[in-house]
This record gives sequence, structure tokens and C-alpha cells, in this order.
Amino acid sequence: MRPARILRILLAAAAAAAFLYYIRGAMPGGGGGTREGVPYEGAKGAPSDDPSYVPQRGGQIIGSSRSQPRSFNRLLVRDQTSDTVIMLLQGRLVRINRATFEVEPWLAEKWDASADGLTYTFYLRPNLTWSDGAPFSSADVVFSLEAALDPKVESVMAHNMMAGGQPIRAEAPDANTVKFTLAGPSGPGVRLFDALPILPKHKLGAALAAGTLAEAWGPATPPSEIVGMGPFVLREYTPGQRLVFDRNPRYWRKDARGQQLPYLDRLVLEIVPEQNAELLRLQAGQTDLTHSELRAEDYVPIRKAEAEGKVRLVELGIGTDPDGFWFCMKPAVKAKDPRFRFVQKREFRQAISHAVDREEFAQTVFLGEAVPTWGPITTGNEPWFSPNVPRYPHDPARARELLESIGLEDRNGNGVVEDEKGTEARFTVLTQRGITYYETGATVVRDYAKAVGIALDVVALEAPALFARLESCDYDAVYMRALMSDLDPGLSLDYWLSSGDAHLWNLASKTPATEWEKEIDRLMTEQASTIALARRKTIFNDVQRIFAENLPVLYFAAPRLYYGHSVRLRGVVPSVMRPQVLWNADMLSVADGAASKP
Amino acid sequence: MARFLVRRVIFAVLLVFISSSAALFLTRLAPGDLASALGPNPSGAEVAAARARFDLDRPAVEQWGLWMSRALRFDFGESLQYGRPVGPLVVRAAANSAVLGITALAVATLLGIGLGIFTGAQGLSGGLAPVVVRAFSVACLSLPPLVTSLILVFIAARTGWFPLGGMTTPGIVETAWGPWLADVAAHLPLPVIALALPVAATFERLQSQALGETLHLPFVAAASARGVSRRSAILHHAWPVSLRAICAIYGIVIGAVLSGSFVVEYVTAWPGLGRMMYEALRARDIYLVAGCAAMGASFLALGTLAGDLLLVAVDPRVREGVTE
Repeated sequence: MRPARILRILLAAAAAAAFLYYIRGAMPGGGGGTREGVPYEGAKGAPSDDPSYVPQRGGQIIGSSRSQPRSFNRLLVRDQTSDTVIMLLQGRLVRINRATFEVEPWLAEKWDASADGLTYTFYLRPNLTWSDGAPFSSADVVFSLEAALDPKVESVMAHNMMAGGQPIRAEAPDANTVKFTLAGPSGPGVRLFDALPILPKHKLGAALAAGTLAEAWGPATPPSEIVGMGPFVLREYTPGQRLVFDRNPRYWRKDARGQQLPYLDRLVLEIVPEQNAELLRLQAGQTDLTHSELRAEDYVPIRKAEAEGKVRLVELGIGTDPDGFWFCMKPAVKAKDPRFRFVQKREFRQAISHAVDREEFAQTVFLGEAVPTWGPITTGNEPWFSPNVPRYPHDPARARELLESIGLEDRNGNGVVEDEKGTEARFTVLTQRGITYYETGATVVRDYAKAVGIALDVVALEAPALFARLESCDYDAVYMRALMSDLDPGLSLDYWLSSGDAHLWNLASKTPATEWEKEIDRLMTEQASTIALARRKTIFNDVQRIFAENLPVLYFAAPRLYYGHSVRLRGVVPSVMRPQVLWNADMLSVADGAASKP
Repeated sequence: MARFLVRRVIFAVLLVFISSSAALFLTRLAPGDLASALGPNPSGAEVAAARARFDLDRPAVEQWGLWMSRALRFDFGESLQYGRPVGPLVVRAAANSAVLGITALAVATLLGIGLGIFTGAQGLSGGLAPVVVRAFSVACLSLPPLVTSLILVFIAARTGWFPLGGMTTPGIVETAWGPWLADVAAHLPLPVIALALPVAATFERLQSQALGETLHLPFVAAASARGVSRRSAILHHAWPVSLRAICAIYGIVIGAVLSGSFVVEYVTAWPGLGRMMYEALRARDIYLVAGCAAMGASFLALGTLAGDLLLVAVDPRVREGVTE
């Protein structure tokens, strides 16, 4: 046979094999057969917002996610997408209502706390079952805590399950009762248990015993293996494309009319990495909800879409995580930098705070949809917000006075202040590339600082490069949003304590670098182990005051957050916390539920 | 012929080896790593554990050696973003890119060569139509694919004529094969047009010039003198000879189109190799970047081989050189 003919035959065979492989692999649901299905009907036929609307079971919604879940095991991951997905699949003993911030009974129908705050007894709802039909019991709760604390698992939740410096202990007196014992009192108290995902012992017990739980329930795990107590079960995960969730037929919760929840038959999360594409799809009626709140630049087009009846816009409230501006103040790294001499003086940072007109900042950066803020706790976090902290009104003259008080003057007339040794107050400000309000915010701060003689050069970096700089303190200053771990300050110690991994200006310091940080460490340690809420609040007000006096991080404005969803979506209880709508997924329904039944 | 194929296979292996190794090293050298993907406020211990899991705590050369030893056993490592082996992820994305690329290539070839024959045969004094085609080609060559893609997405959003992006309609979870293929076909026009237009314009310009030059060669005049019609002289005598210019670049075009376009796939949300590599680069997903680079290089090698074989088919002089 001639070589050319052999080649033709080989190429034809390879093409046929590749085509068959592709068809088999790319078929939704893994392919392999003809199955019936009904495509999504879009937003047509949605009725107007009717208060008498009674939610009906059925239908599906399509949301979007900007990234992939890194695991289906919440003990191992903390990123937002994984958290949202696991919220749909797993249950907890109690739930923090993301709209009211109150603790609600969930898998536990009630609980008792001892007077000294060292013992919590949870009473589980009777006759609950896992999504695979196995009975749920207190043994699963004890197992979940053991898994979270097992050193081999290296769980990201382990530090949450500590109190008084010791791991929380659990025992199961009977099948429906769990007793937790704490080594010391915990300020957040029962809220701690919102963070503990309850895992199925019958599925994961062997993995924990074998020391392989850290590899369990990765993204490649077959969906049927992932069992939970949440409102949905995972039906399909196509990497880079979508996650499909079906109703958990054994979900425990019913609505006020006794109707089984969740209302929806199916929930699809399409993976759309780009926020502009995500919004275009929402406006075109191809999706029902987006990954997160809108950006300031999206307000105008989405309002227009709302006026055209394509989208519903809801106000979430004031954001709880405002953008911050801070200098690296790690003495071990910056000691030889001559600028560190004045950066570490609080008058220098106070001068920048005086230089910025917060009202105008809110107008420019957030198009007016923001309120001035003076510290990390905004009015959005109402239970812990303190209005009585030092404020720095826009006063460039006062800013110059403060700079002069620490020896910074414009000695050579170039518009930038110097100290007596000629060291200029000139810094590079890093921010994250591609996030408009970061880049605008940093530029606006630069312009205000310039007016008082401080030169800031703004450089936008990709996220990995920026985080590498933050980690090693290889930067002068940064402008970006640093997320608090929790709204309760007792659960955000990583931000407040000088040893914390989110102590932005001096990450994970072995000892407090200043007296005021030492004082905050003392107060926050006391706050986190105090049970009386009023006392906790008083202590935390003191912490906020000390923080605002010293300004290790400067905050200028907290955005008023908005969220857009399709007009057919019902039962939305918006929250300022992410995921803004899916936290309450079991109560979501669609106006055309029957029409879009999968 | 056998020697020719062996040379090509060696070239392909070298290309894949160099591309993937370079991608691995360059991603490793780029500032930042996976720490930014671990969620808010990861602890030092979490970051260290993640780095150890992906061999990022080792020197770059040692990491490359470990990766290469695994790759020789077809284990290309684990993706940080997807938490699963790189191999199947890349194969799936490459298949999606191939569907888009093959369709775009077919459209570009038919459109570009067809219009090239038309404008080439008409010459510079052929009236308004060739001028319009030439102007359109120059415009398509001048417009970067980013702009073309954005314009098309904008048109799709405004008119609803095409789906906005993706490979299938959101929410279609299970369906019969026929409707599913129809759904994929409905999503193809937007990225295919964006990808095919500049390629078609290139082909049109090349074909037009090559045919115009060939028509002035003596053998075409001889054919005409023998009474061959102009149409036949163009299509049966001049065109096959003028195809050499297209075949010379066809291999590279095949490789480039099949290995995925970062821009088109990203803007139109096509789940292909280009988009996957872009996202992997942004996330410093080091093994996925290397895997995508290896697959892209494989496509390029295959494309070059296909281009060479086409050249062999259309040009007897090359065929003689290869079979000697």
C-alpha cells in the first residue's frame, strides 16, 4: 500500500475517533444516550410584583459564578464560590440569617447554653435524613467537629472551632442531642456553629479514619458521592461551564403553609468569569441572578434595564467591607526605609485623612452611591457600628499643620514635603488591575494627597502579583478592599490581633509593634471571650476609637450596594453579605415555575 | 515520505517539549502565585500547604524535573483552579476549540479563496465589486479580533439575533443529541465570524495577488491561445498553481486557529483552549498553563504537517522533493 494512502486512512480514523470522543465527552450530563429535557424559557411571562403572590413549586433558575469551586468540602476551602456551592448542598446546626444577622435554628431545633457559657447543648430535629436517605443523627455532628479539628485535615475551619485557646469538644448523649464543651467562654457563642458544615459520617468516616479526608470531595468527585442536608443536591459539574443542582427530595424544611422546600426543581450556575458578560446575560434575560453586587459603573445601565422591565434592582444596604488605604508598617521590613520614620507617625496618616473630602470621594468613585466612613465597621454592620469615633473633616490646612508638626515641609518648593534629611513623602500605591473603583479610588486619593504635598504614584497589578507583594510587605501603600472574616468582631480576630493573618499593615506579627496595637490585642482578646453582649459592644467601641485615632488603615467611603436579578425571580431576601441572594436559596421561586419546569 | 513524516514527528515532539517547558518556567517566574486564589485572608499555614501541594516550595528546576517525569507518564499535574487532572481538562477544551476552529477555517477558506479568485480574476479594472471586496478585506485585516468580537457581542445583545456567548444555551441541562448539536450550531456564528473574518481577508488578499500574477504567466496565455475559455483557464490552469501561496501559510493558520483565540473565546465565553489558558495564566495555574501550551503546540505541529501535505498535493515540484 502506498504511504500516502496509509496516511489518508490514518488521518480519517483519527478524525473519526476524535469526533466520537468529543461528542461523548461534550454531551451535557456526560452524554451516552437520548434523554428528554426542556430548555430554559427566559423571563417571558413574568407577572408584575404582586404581594398576594403565592410561591409555587417547580421551575429552574440560572445564576452565574465567576470562578470554579475548589472543593465540595467546606473544611478545606474558604473561597466565595466554594462557600456558595456548599451552602446549597450542606446544612448547619444553626444559621445566621444574612438579612437580620440573627441566629436561627436550622438542623438543631433549639439549644441551651450554660450560665458560664462553657456548655452548649443542641437538640436536633427528629427523623431527618441525608440526601441519600441515610438517617441523620448526633453522631454526624460529633464527626463533623472531629473532622474540622483533625490535624491531618488541616482544615481552614479549625481556628473557628476553638475557644479559650483549646479545641471545642463534642459528645452525643443520644441520637438527637449534642453537647459542646468549651475550654473558655466565647463571645460569639452559638454563632460559632454557623461556620461548622455538618458532614455525613457514613460517607466520610472511613476517609477521616484513614487520614485521607483532605482529599475527599474534590471537584472531580462524582456528584452522586456528595451527600448533604442542604436544599439541593449536585447533579452535574462541567468544569469551566456549569454546575447543576437538583432539589433535594429529602430536605427537611417546609414553608409556613407546610409546603416542602425548596420551591425550585433545579438551579444552574453557569461559570462566567467576566462581570460585563454576566450583566449582558442578565439584561438579555438569559440568567436570573449574578455572582455578586453591582459595580458603581453598572448602576446606570441596570436602572435603565429595570425601567424597561428586564431586570429588578434591589438595594442591599451599605456595604460592610469598605475599600481601605494603608501603608506597610512592618518594622522588620521597613526599618531601613527613611520614609518609615514619618509613615509610622499617626500624624502623617491623620494628615492624609484630613486631605480627603469623603463626600466628594463618594460622589466621584461611587457616583454618589456611598456614604463617608471613618473606620472598618460601617453602618452596614449595624450591631457593631460605633458613631463615636474620631473623624477627620476635609481640611487641607489642618493636614499641612499635622505634616509640619512631624517635620515634613516643602523645603525645595517642588510641591512634595520632605523631612529635615531631605527624604520626600513620595510613595507607590498598588491596587488591583481591572477593578474600576479600586483604580478610580486610588487615583482620587492620589489627587487629594498631592494637594497637601504627599506624592502618590498609582500602579495597578494583577491579583497574584499584588497578593505576593502584600504577603512579603514588598510595597509602600495599597488601596483595595480587604474582606473581614465575619461581621462579629469576635470572629474577625485575624484582622484585629497583631498576630492575625489579615492584620493588613503588619501581617502575622509575632508581637505587637506599637503600644496601641498591644492595647487593641488586649481588648479584642477580652471582647472575644466575653459573653455579655453589652460589655462586648462597649469594649469594641473602645477598639474602634483607638483604631480611628491611629489610622493604620484609612477608610473613606462605604458603597451603597445594589443587586440585579431577573423579574421572574421571587422570594428574594437580599443581604449585604455574599452570596446576596443564594444564602436563602430554598425560599426562591419563579413566577413561571410550572412553565419552566425541567 | 516516511523520512518526511519522521522528521515532522520529531519536530512536533520538540515543539511540545519546548513550549510546555517554557510556559511552566515563565508562569513560575511571573510575580505572584496561587495565594490570591485561596479566598479572603488565608493563613500562612494554608498558603504554605497549598504551595507544597503544587511543588511551588521547590526550586523552579526541581519543580520542572518532577513535572516532566510525571508528564512522560501522561500525568500533567493537577489544576489549581479546577482541582482535577490537567489532561482531561485540556483535551476537553481543545475539542471545543477544534469545533470552533474547524468551522471558522472552513468559512474563512471558502469565503477567502472564493472572493480572492473573484478579485484576482477581475484585476484592477474590474469595476466596483472587486474594489468593495478589497476594501472590506483591508478593513477586516485592520480590525483586531477584540474589536470584531465586541462589535458582534454588542449586535447580538441589541438585536437578539445570536446567543450572547457560551457554547450552549444556559439552563439546557439534558437534551437529545440532535437538539444539542443544533444548540451548539446556534452558538457558533458569533465566535466563528469573529475568528474567520481576518483569516478570510488574509486568504482573499493572498489568493487575489497570486492569481493575478499567475494569469500573466505564459502557460495561461498558451491555454487561452489553444481556445480554452477564460473561466476554464482561471479555474483549471491558473488557480491550482496560485494556491501555493495559500498553502504556504495554511499550516500556520490551522495551528493558530485550532489552538484557540484568547480574545475571541474570552469575549464570546467559548469554553475553549484559549480562554482556559488565559484564565490559567491570570490565576497562575502553572500546570494548566503548561498543559494548554503543550496542546497548542500539538495543534501547531499538526497544522504545519497538514499545510505541508497540502503543498505536496498542489505542487508537483514539492511532491518530487518529498518522495525522493
